[in-house]
Amino acid sequence: MYYKVSGVTGKLTGATAASAYSPQGLKPTVPSQAPPMIFAVPTKVVSETGSVAHYMGINKVPELQKIFQKSDGAPVHLKRGVMDKMLYRTTMGLTIGGTLYCLMALYIAAQPRKTQ
Amino acid sequence: MAHQAHAYHMVDPSPWPLTGAIAALLMTSGLAIWFHFHSTTLMTLGLILLLLTMYQWWRDIIREGTFQGHHTPPVQKGLRYGMILFITSEVFFFLGFFWAFYHSSLAPTPELGGCWPPTGITPLDPFEVPLLNTAVLLASGVTVTWAHHSIMEGERKQAIQSLALTILLGFYFTALQAMEYYEAPFTIADGVYGSTFFVATGFHGLHVIIGSTFLAVCLLRQIQYHFTSEHHFGFEAAAWYWHFVDVVWLFLYVSIYWWGS
Repeated sequence: MYYKVSGVTGKLTGATAASAYSPQGLKPTVPSQAPPMIFAVPTKVVSETGSVAHYMGINKVPELQKIFQKSDGAPVHLKRGVMDKMLYRTTMGLTIGGTLYCLMALYIAAQPRKTQ
Repeated sequence: MAHQAHAYHMVDPSPWPLTGAIAALLMTSGLAIWFHFHSTTLMTLGLILLLLTMYQWWRDIIREGTFQGHHTPPVQKGLRYGMILFITSEVFFFLGFFWAFYHSSLAPTPELGGCWPPTGITPLDPFEVPLLNTAVLLASGVTVTWAHHSIMEGERKQAIQSLALTILLGFYFTALQAMEYYEAPFTIADGVYGSTFFVATGFHGLHVIIGSTFLAVCLLRQIQYHFTSEHHFGFEAAAWYWHFVDVVWLFLYVSIYWWGS
């Protein structure tokens, strides 16, 4: 028969061989409480991270918002200035040129073929 | 800045609808000119005009939404309806090709040998590359959902990585399908089997390429901080389109590759 001090009553009571071989108070490696479980690292707000290197470039959106909200009366497709104008003119040039080429090609295609 | 007493978007006058319409004219007449006179100039011109129109039109939408703040909640609602209606129209587009497939395969004519697959056709094994393709697209559905949650939770790095992975899976699918097309023992000219197979899977492949491109644009926008955790409809539209492409593949796989073999 093995004995232990009961954790409930504080009095001597029966015990198994297993608990006798590892008596109360001599299990320092087993923590009494489970360690706090961490399921995910909480998302850090950018302002809290301080001067960390930005992943793949910095945020240029506020600066672009200022550019595109300038009250210069320009329509959105020309708001950025020269590059927009060049691209617009190229596109419109191809549109008008293409239309004329198309009408000409269709006119020619509509002509009767010479019989062989 | 113009003052308006409503939350809707009165767009600036734009030349892109006209250039787009002309591009359509040039591409279609160019096709006819190519067929009859062997010249691809007109069609190529139309294609270039189409690309220029798409680039500038969508660039302007990004400017109007992200930089000028015109995409208020009611405007965004309209954009959502628009995307849903567009995807619905695409569903009907594919429905037609599935109708054609089932019309021919459920009652195979004597000219085909009265059986499906028709006599002389060796169909592709559905448990080889087509099954891998199914796994690839299903995985890409998972990664695009991961990307969405990353964006909503403000996880920039994860959003970029999962979105990039989704695009890579899309490219992998396209590469595998291209290889299958090259190695297939039958062609589009092999009767109604070849026609239904290549037209249905071909249009699907085109939609995979379109979807991958849409996602790639979203990746560039995500890198450039365009999306916020509350407002990222461009990405949502791309993700909806991608799921639609995935579902079409599942129907193709079950109907044409598996049942049809």
